[in-house]
Amino acid sequence: MALAEDQRIENPLLEGLQLSRRPEPCAMVIFGASGDLTKRKLFPALYSLAYRQLLPEKFGIVGVARTEESDDGFRERMKAAVQEFGRDDFRDDVWEWLADGMHYVAGTAEDGDDVFVHIDETLTDFDRDRGTSGNRVYYLAVPPPAFETIVKGIGKHRSKQGWTRLIVEKPFGHDLQSAQELNTLLHKHFDENEIFRIDHYLGKETVQNMLALRFANGIFEPIWNRQFVDHIQITVAETIGIEGRADYYEHAGAIRDIFQNHLLQLIALTAMEPPIDFAADSVRNEKVKVLKSMHTPGPKHVVRGQYGLGYIEGQEVPGYREEQGVDPSSMTETFIAAKLFVDNWRWADTPIYIRAGKRLARRETTIAIQFKGAPHPPFEEAAAEGLRPNVLLIHIQPDEGVSLAIGAKVPGQGLQIRTVHMDFLYGGAFRTDLPEAYERLLIDCMRGDASLFTREDEVIEQWQLVDAIVAFWRRDRPSFPNYAAGTWGPPSSDELLRRDGRSWRRH
Amino acid sequence: MATALDTVSAIERKLAALRLADEGSRLRTNVMTHIAWVPEEWVEAAEDVLAGLAERHPSRTIVLFPQSAGAGLEGKVESESFPMSEGLTICTDTIRIRLHGTSAEHPASVVEPLLVPDLPVFLRWRGVPPFGESAFDELIGVADRLIVDSTEWPGLPKPYARMAEIFDRLAVSDIAWARTSRWRPMLASLWPAIAKVERIKVTGTEAQAQLLAGWLRSRLDRSIGLEHEPSNKLVGVELDGEPAPFPPGDPPIPADLLSDELDKLSRDPVYEAAVIAAV
Repeated sequence: MALAEDQRIENPLLEGLQLSRRPEPCAMVIFGASGDLTKRKLFPALYSLAYRQLLPEKFGIVGVARTEESDDGFRERMKAAVQEFGRDDFRDDVWEWLADGMHYVAGTAEDGDDVFVHIDETLTDFDRDRGTSGNRVYYLAVPPPAFETIVKGIGKHRSKQGWTRLIVEKPFGHDLQSAQELNTLLHKHFDENEIFRIDHYLGKETVQNMLALRFANGIFEPIWNRQFVDHIQITVAETIGIEGRADYYEHAGAIRDIFQNHLLQLIALTAMEPPIDFAADSVRNEKVKVLKSMHTPGPKHVVRGQYGLGYIEGQEVPGYREEQGVDPSSMTETFIAAKLFVDNWRWADTPIYIRAGKRLARRETTIAIQFKGAPHPPFEEAAAEGLRPNVLLIHIQPDEGVSLAIGAKVPGQGLQIRTVHMDFLYGGAFRTDLPEAYERLLIDCMRGDASLFTREDEVIEQWQLVDAIVAFWRRDRPSFPNYAAGTWGPPSSDELLRRDGRSWRRH
Repeated sequence: MATALDTVSAIERKLAALRLADEGSRLRTNVMTHIAWVPEEWVEAAEDVLAGLAERHPSRTIVLFPQSAGAGLEGKVESESFPMSEGLTICTDTIRIRLHGTSAEHPASVVEPLLVPDLPVFLRWRGVPPFGESAFDELIGVADRLIVDSTEWPGLPKPYARMAEIFDRLAVSDIAWARTSRWRPMLASLWPAIAKVERIKVTGTEAQAQLLAGWLRSRLDRSIGLEHEPSNKLVGVELDGEPAPFPPGDPPIPADLLSDELDKLSRDPVYEAAVIAAV
């Protein structure tokens, strides 16, 4: 029962009603329908949205991939995917509603225009039979080499009525030049406000909670700056290896896989100024300012590593060069650590240490704001030896939440100080399951809300920084592998902080 | 259940002891204090709704059972834990207090020391509140939001007039109003034809009929006649003799209705106007 905004203005009965925020009718076309992303993330997300009646009432899906498959075959495969990877109970009625509007088109770039004609016919049928009104979401869940043909095909056959939106999965380019070329290609067929560059980290509830934490709590703003913050540590650690994605990872490495997108977005959200509102461009304008303010780190401020054989959860795991499909002499980095600076009034001279990598000691994504110590602790040195600086720790995953490390008196005689943690566990206060990032992002795109998607200028700034780092990496050849799987990266990562009299947070 | 505690201090000590007895992995995240005033005849229904609520809204729940006889109070404290992800459990407290004699007339002095500081206080009142009496007056003084279910009230719409008098003191939720929430968007979708309606017939509870009629009167700013056909749930609405389409979806269960109201913090001016127009 979605009611239009203009009807709300003149209809007094609408006041105070919590109307359905279901998006307008639309059809979604997924290129890469036989891929892992579609199976593990997109369909489970679509099912969860259908389960909660959040998808448009009039909706249809066209899956496109090179594999020959019938509509029924596609439905069965996606049903199995939802049952395996979905977070909700499997309900036949929900699935049947979704499956009823699912079609499959087999095709490749070699098929030329035929595949797009076929897609267009299916979408026209949707408009007629399912009332999708010419509104289209195209999802590019395909490797970058396929982008050009698909974008041109969509552009040629785009609907003359309704709206058209394009979701582009990472990697968005391989370097600055390729990102600019991709932007040029996209802009030949789409306006910037029709392009939704996805970084699924931004769809995570806890990443968005950063905005709530910073801008809904007056206590943090006065101390969220160089005067009170000693430094910031951001960790994106994975225990998994490359999971059979050697083709992609050999070309990407940690810097393109994590640093260019997720890590720089986390830095931007941590360091940005308060936006005037939460409109898409207000937030993105502030994030871009942070990215523009980041100066290129020198070679001594960036560490790269590659894992060798080691142990994860007690089991031996191979080194990166032994992974299937990886060049035995590969120089691809699986770990990156850096000391970065945001050169603006708020953060000048405040280091932001980042580290990200695969096969690290534990899975964790955290942002740690380490505050400066008390100016003159009146305690005896021995009494305060257990005291560490205050740290505001934002857990992005797992254990989503926030904790604050504070000094407290140990009960008993004398005045012994120890650091204790005050924890807020996200799921403990709000007893609802956290939605998967893709659910939020898909529905936002259908509603036309680009707040959690990356804008062109953000991508350009991100690549400029990455290109500068990669440029000096070309000049040396580190001795890889330089850390054992299951550890916290190469010793030079620890040295990066030790030089400054600091250390990575203990875990 | 633990042995009865006869002073507020004893209840506080018991709460502290339970907290210390917790295993380290238990969390005590609270989002509110939930007070329930449960006269004897509502005990069974109240316990049914309370079951499962704490799990959805981590809170300190204080259930007050006013007693006509005796003196003093008898309290019992329970700590419940609910499993969460990553092997953690969340822990919430339920305090049940039988109030006798003056403590039933002046419950605020019992309740105030037990509120979780700085968090919203929701007061669930079973049956018709005794508007103007000290117990009710004191408790709405400590609460941020009153939750009633006017379906439980005899003699409607008269009690609505008394309730309207407290709208300036705290926010009010009415579960009877929440039960009309599926129907209101449906009726709103009949705009503009519905603007000229003269008479509404509601097959449902008295409260639902009165509130829907009050809502139409207040929103359309004119007089509209009401015909009520009793039913224990809202099953039909006619506008000037024409049946309105049945809204989609299933009606929510009582625990969900209360749970939803516990998520609301601000006043509902549309509901308040409907109550005033229902009288």
